[in-house]
Amino acid sequence: MSTYVYGITAATHPSLPENTSGVGDPPRQVRILKEGALAAVVSDAPEGLRPKRRELLAHQNVLSEIGADGCVLPMRFGSVAPDDQAVTGVLAERAEHYAERLKALDGRVEYNIKANHVEEAVLHHVMASNPEIRALAESNRQAGGGTYETKIQLGEMVAAAVKDKEAEDATALERALEPAADAVSVGPESTGWLANVSFLVKREVADEFLAAVERARGHMPHLEVRVNGPLPPYSFVEPGPAEPAGTAAGGADAEAG
Amino acid sequence: MTVVPAQQTGGGGGSSGLYDVLELVLDRGLVIDAFVRVSLVGIEILKIDVRVVVASVDTYLRFAEACNRLDLEAGPRKDPGLPDLVGEMTESGARGKSKGALSGAAETISDAFKQARDEGGSERETSSRPRARKAAPSRRKEEQE
Repeated sequence: MSTYVYGITAATHPSLPENTSGVGDPPRQVRILKEGALAAVVSDAPEGLRPKRRELLAHQNVLSEIGADGCVLPMRFGSVAPDDQAVTGVLAERAEHYAERLKALDGRVEYNIKANHVEEAVLHHVMASNPEIRALAESNRQAGGGTYETKIQLGEMVAAAVKDKEAEDATALERALEPAADAVSVGPESTGWLANVSFLVKREVADEFLAAVERARGHMPHLEVRVNGPLPPYSFVEPGPAEPAGTAAGGADAEAG
Repeated sequence: MTVVPAQQTGGGGGSSGLYDVLELVLDRGLVIDAFVRVSLVGIEILKIDVRVVVASVDTYLRFAEACNRLDLEAGPRKDPGLPDLVGEMTESGARGKSKGALSGAAETISDAFKQARDEGGSERETSSRPRARKAAPSRRKEEQE
């Protein structure tokens, strides 16, 4: 029976979630494998496990539970070891490394911030600050919408201006929140959001971080800012928070091996 | 604009926060090379397919339409709505909220991504078709079906 691994934590963790529901249908029971000073949170791995919403949630929920009472190194979804021995083997082999990571991340949680433009507001901004665009929009409007070519021309100018504004706002948002965080990890770019940034925040100053988010929302009302956290430090398991802020991008891809 | 917001709008209010978290679960976290990862066919797409370039004819036309409709006198919308508290997921609240979202939307992430992959190839053809559109490009999915 192969073993599904949720995360690695200290054996002294005050409330290891034994008997919690894990991945699978029916949900497999969460078990703890201890090895020296470390503990792996695992369950049996269901046959044919697929990355469905329910399974991803189960993974996240188990980790949330551990993370609420102590530090955990969250595994990426879908990590399966051949058996329990293989898990404890890895813990023994890399004990020092994981202990160091747990120490470095102790008392810290991840907040993930994603931001989008409120389209109408950003279009207003772009029009207001760009006379050329304003003029073309006006002439199109007077021409009953304009020709296909002038529409494309206008759209192209607007798209470029919006893109510039996205980059500018992403930087501004990151700068506004950075001071309240220990480390920053920039997530993959996409057109689904203009900013996707994770911040490592000390638990005791989480309020300050959230206050900084509120201030940023106030200063940039044309942004829709989404906050998710506190979360286990998914984006900071490697490299460490010792990295200067802003350079930890892509840290998620680092491997333990 | 892409598969990401499509997932959000399709799943109702709570799922935007949910999606934002699942992206981390899938894409970040510790990887140990001695362990196998379950097959994520359709999921690896996330990184590639969401990078749909903003610069498409479709987008241009949409922006042009939006500018035409824009009421400049009204001024920019000052308040983009209350902070997205509903979407926030906390340790204590994760459980209850997740369950609600679960029962609300049956569609799996993998299905959504698979769909995105299937459509990836047709992206360009669709874009070159001139047509006025009020909706974001993400609606393309529904229109094609």
